[in-house]
Amino acid sequence: MSTVTATIRHRVLPPRLTGQEIVLAGVLVVLWAALAVSTPAFLTAGSIQPLLVATAPIALAGVGMTIVIITGGIDVSVGGAIMVCSVLTAKALVGAEVSLPVAVLLSVAVGGALGLVNGVLIAYGRVHAIIITFGTANLFMFLGLRIFGSGTVNGIPGTLAFFGRGAGGRTLGVPHAFLITVLITAAAWWYLRHTAGGRHFFAIGGDAQAARLAGVRVQRRVLLTYLITGLLVGLASCFVIAQGTSTLDQSVGSGKELAVIAAVVIGGTSIMGGRGSVLGTLLGALLVQSVASGVTQLGWRSQLSDLFVGVFIIVAVGADLLRTRARRSR
Amino acid sequence: MTAVAAQKEGTGARILRVLLTQRIALLAVLIVAVVVTFFIQDAGGYLTASYDFDYMSASLISAVPLAMLGLAELLVILSGRGGIDLSVGAIVSLAGMVFGFAYGEWGWPLWAAIILTAGFGALCGAVNGFLVSYIGFPALIATLATYYAFKSIAIVINNQEPISTAPIQKLFSISKSVELPLFGQYVPDIPLGIFTFLLPTVVAVWLLLARTAYGRRLYAIGTNDVAARWSGLPVRDTRFKAYVYAGLLAGLVAVVTVGQFASARPDAGVSGNGMALPAITIAVLGGVAITGGIGRVAGVVLATLLIVWLNAGILLAFIGNEGSQYQLLALGAVLVFAALLNGLTNRRYGGTS
Amino acid sequence: MTDEKPRLRLTGIAKRFGAVRAILQADVTVRAGRVHALVGENGAGKSTMIKIVSGAETADTGTIEFDGEPVRIGSTTDAIGLGIATVYQEPQLFGELTVAENIFLGREIKKAGRVDWAEQNRRVVELLERLGLPARYATATVGTLSVAEQQQVSIAKALAAEASVLILDEPSAILTDAEIEVLFGVVRRLTADGVAVVYISHRLDELFRIADEVTVMRDGRTIGTHDIHDLSVRRIAELMVGGILSDERPHRVVPDGPPVLELDGFGRTGRFHDVDVRVRAGEIVALYGLVGSGVSEIAACVYGIDRSTAGALRFEGEPVSPRSPRDAQRLGIALLPANRKVEGMFSFQSIAFNISAGHLERFSRFGVFLDRGRERSVALDLIRRLAVKTPSERQPISAMSGGNAQKVVLARQLVERPKVLVLAEPTQGVDVGAKEEIHRLITELAEEGTAVLVVTSDLPEALRIADRIQVVRGGTTTEEFGPDASQVDLLAAAAGGTA
Repeated sequence: MSTVTATIRHRVLPPRLTGQEIVLAGVLVVLWAALAVSTPAFLTAGSIQPLLVATAPIALAGVGMTIVIITGGIDVSVGGAIMVCSVLTAKALVGAEVSLPVAVLLSVAVGGALGLVNGVLIAYGRVHAIIITFGTANLFMFLGLRIFGSGTVNGIPGTLAFFGRGAGGRTLGVPHAFLITVLITAAAWWYLRHTAGGRHFFAIGGDAQAARLAGVRVQRRVLLTYLITGLLVGLASCFVIAQGTSTLDQSVGSGKELAVIAAVVIGGTSIMGGRGSVLGTLLGALLVQSVASGVTQLGWRSQLSDLFVGVFIIVAVGADLLRTRARRSR
Repeated sequence: MTAVAAQKEGTGARILRVLLTQRIALLAVLIVAVVVTFFIQDAGGYLTASYDFDYMSASLISAVPLAMLGLAELLVILSGRGGIDLSVGAIVSLAGMVFGFAYGEWGWPLWAAIILTAGFGALCGAVNGFLVSYIGFPALIATLATYYAFKSIAIVINNQEPISTAPIQKLFSISKSVELPLFGQYVPDIPLGIFTFLLPTVVAVWLLLARTAYGRRLYAIGTNDVAARWSGLPVRDTRFKAYVYAGLLAGLVAVVTVGQFASARPDAGVSGNGMALPAITIAVLGGVAITGGIGRVAGVVLATLLIVWLNAGILLAFIGNEGSQYQLLALGAVLVFAALLNGLTNRRYGGTS
Repeated sequence: MTDEKPRLRLTGIAKRFGAVRAILQADVTVRAGRVHALVGENGAGKSTMIKIVSGAETADTGTIEFDGEPVRIGSTTDAIGLGIATVYQEPQLFGELTVAENIFLGREIKKAGRVDWAEQNRRVVELLERLGLPARYATATVGTLSVAEQQQVSIAKALAAEASVLILDEPSAILTDAEIEVLFGVVRRLTADGVAVVYISHRLDELFRIADEVTVMRDGRTIGTHDIHDLSVRRIAELMVGGILSDERPHRVVPDGPPVLELDGFGRTGRFHDVDVRVRAGEIVALYGLVGSGVSEIAACVYGIDRSTAGALRFEGEPVSPRSPRDAQRLGIALLPANRKVEGMFSFQSIAFNISAGHLERFSRFGVFLDRGRERSVALDLIRRLAVKTPSERQPISAMSGGNAQKVVLARQLVERPKVLVLAEPTQGVDVGAKEEIHRLITELAEEGTAVLVVTSDLPEALRIADRIQVVRGGTTTEEFGPDASQVDLLAAAAGGTA
């Protein structure tokens, strides 16, 4: 018996990496290799560093979105929330000349408040998440545009350069924004895997009613997922300001909700809930950004990368569908 | 159960129940409330221009694409199993470019170009329908993917350039207002697009849903697709066609949009907020249940009128681009309100009709 | 060994749901370390008893004693607190989580803020070993396990909370013979540890391999508890059906003729095999079998929901193989599904909608537009013929009683006057009055020349309406009986009656 227990202890959970993550990592390696061969400039710090900086906000918001989708929900208000957080923070930077910690705190607090609105409406209003967040997306965009007033926010100081593309945004060549994203992804990965609360998210997505019967406080947990998403969107907004120029225009955040959902889905998280991985989301975001970067460096039209995003979604989810079907008919 | 409740309740409770369970009644009351509010504001001189029947009629031009795409969403959401189409805006862009080529550059006759564009839209919808119905993709995922793909192709296909050759520019006439024959002098002029595109579409979709065997099948698969299979209905085929029809409507909207802008713009359906989000909002506001099987053409049309006339009033109540900002507020608030109302209705009365 | 102390004693239990008296008078005593079987026909009150013991329902009258102390079981939490665990037929598990996680969900063992996987797994492995189950289950994802394995996990989950009474609700219905052996092994280990097991089953033969004592229920009453050694399958069957003879039924003369529907060596891998059935025009044949005997799968194959893998299906002498319900319908085969809510009803749609669904070609002009006038007249005609109680054909079906809703779904099958009508559990969840009417209708349809195949697990129903009854057991047709057969013989044949 003790031998059995010993072998069991080594494998206490499903494998650390899912098939989807391994495949994604493989695709990334192949893609980078191909790009390195075709455009020698690709595998240089000057090309990789901006790529990582650009990946960060999508992957970071993706961490929250992954948890939301694991519980069977969705949040299409992320784009609007990014707009509110970034314009408010940008105005604070210009007008009040706040310091970096204050700016980050402000942005995260605002994001958290917006997430809380979503969470309360969805958890206690008993309405499907997609409808509520379509509604709040409009409300957030209204808020954002009101704060913009007319035109753009100009002359944003370099306070947030710590997260930016410049030399001040890197330590040992690694961009801070990307590093923070990786750390938060790792923390979320650990939380989802090793804590009761984390596992409960999966249970809720699998069968919310059964989870309730097992003693999980479903409404609170659901509210929490949108709150987490809001907080992370707040931080991601700081990255967005930092990677831009000193000007912020009204298109900020536009379409980002779909980009984030795309990264999550390519990363192997099931839109039906109950299954997913934040690591996959990070890889998914990286893949999307690598393609975008590759397309530009090859001198193709930059918008062509969206076509690849569409194809990736179909292939990633299609492969998963086939796997599930094969498993069921076994 | 409802009958028993009706006997006991008073008039006030009854009105409340009708308003909550009959979405059409609620929308009608809201429309009247909105119009009356702006008439009063107008009389009090708070608006930047006059909110009268002429203005309301002219503003209907923006109802054309909104209602048509709302009807497209109605069809796919009705089909059940999480039906939704995020790609309608991208189809509008892409089909608009096709129309631009056919009518603006290849010199096709207008009718042929319109048929080509609608057919092309249907083809795009068929891609969605194939993925969702025959392969089994969740609709949200499949149409997210095609949204990206169509959007990208639309931009790349003509090197990001809009097509605005002479024939296209002349098309602007389809968005002008016309006087109705016979009694036209007594009522306001009405935008031509209402007659050429919107009304035929509304009638066609209404006929399809309420008067044809296909409509019945669509409601059946949306209500319970297992029972539909056991009843011998062609479940996959029916769901597939819902996406094809949605694509076809998006193709027609592409023609309208090209006419309105007098230019085939590669980002016509996806710029800013895109066209899919407002269309889904209109459908949900119109009482379409996101779970499928429930929803009517009249609900979508009334929801469109509500939003269009509300937006038109807001434009007059605020100066400059503040108006367009408050339109977002109105849309969002109305949607959240309607959704919470649906939740309440489900708990109290067991559903909307 | 009846001197074991009573663990759970129920006395004078009665329960009614509205006008329905589910339990009139029930007394059961369950002893530690013993397997107590509870048997009875459908509707005898077994499932209500389980619900009362597990806390899902509360008895109207009667007392419950646990270890000699009177207790009140007002909720499922109360029952679990007492150590009463229930395993239902359908495992309620999270497919994407591991077995250990499922067992500890909601009450995880924690160490420094994180789940102590090692400790949880150790306990689960212990538990599995106690049950004689493979330790490797502990870390397997539930979704990758078979139905039988998931059931074993459910038992383990029930026992993780230190249960002293385990209720198994028809656990063998979904299992193969080999899987049943594993289940019995688990049950024997538990009783050896002093757990009291309440075992509900339709398969009478297996009781002799596992049960110590048997309580028989009939028409809402317990009619006695017997030591298993004093019983035989036949004796239990007699107790279950009582001394009542079958109802008087008019003698029907079935016209002679070739079979309309013929199953010859019909089979589907893993479900059923070598099924031979013949139904002539105007004849009513019942396929009678217990839940899990494969009887419902046979109906699904005839109707094209599933594909057969062996043998032949002949319709009017011609071999056919319907690939879908539509194919079957085109041939003239109609089917009334067993699960009305899931497979039959379009819940928030009208009666007319529910009747015309599946026959829309017939109700359309040029194959496109719906002829609503005809739809209405056909619906009204069927409503009248089937005596559906409703003010209008526009009422939603969801507002109707079970019996009326069933008539509406049946009406849908009659729109095109099928040559073969397959009825799966035609009166499940239907009140007595509607049941009579549906039986009368079925007989009328046969009189008009329809070949009727009734697939049922309701024994009196089979005897009341069928001209011939074929018993399905272990996935194949076994004996055939005439309408004059005794209930006891039939039950014994279906439940394993060589004894």
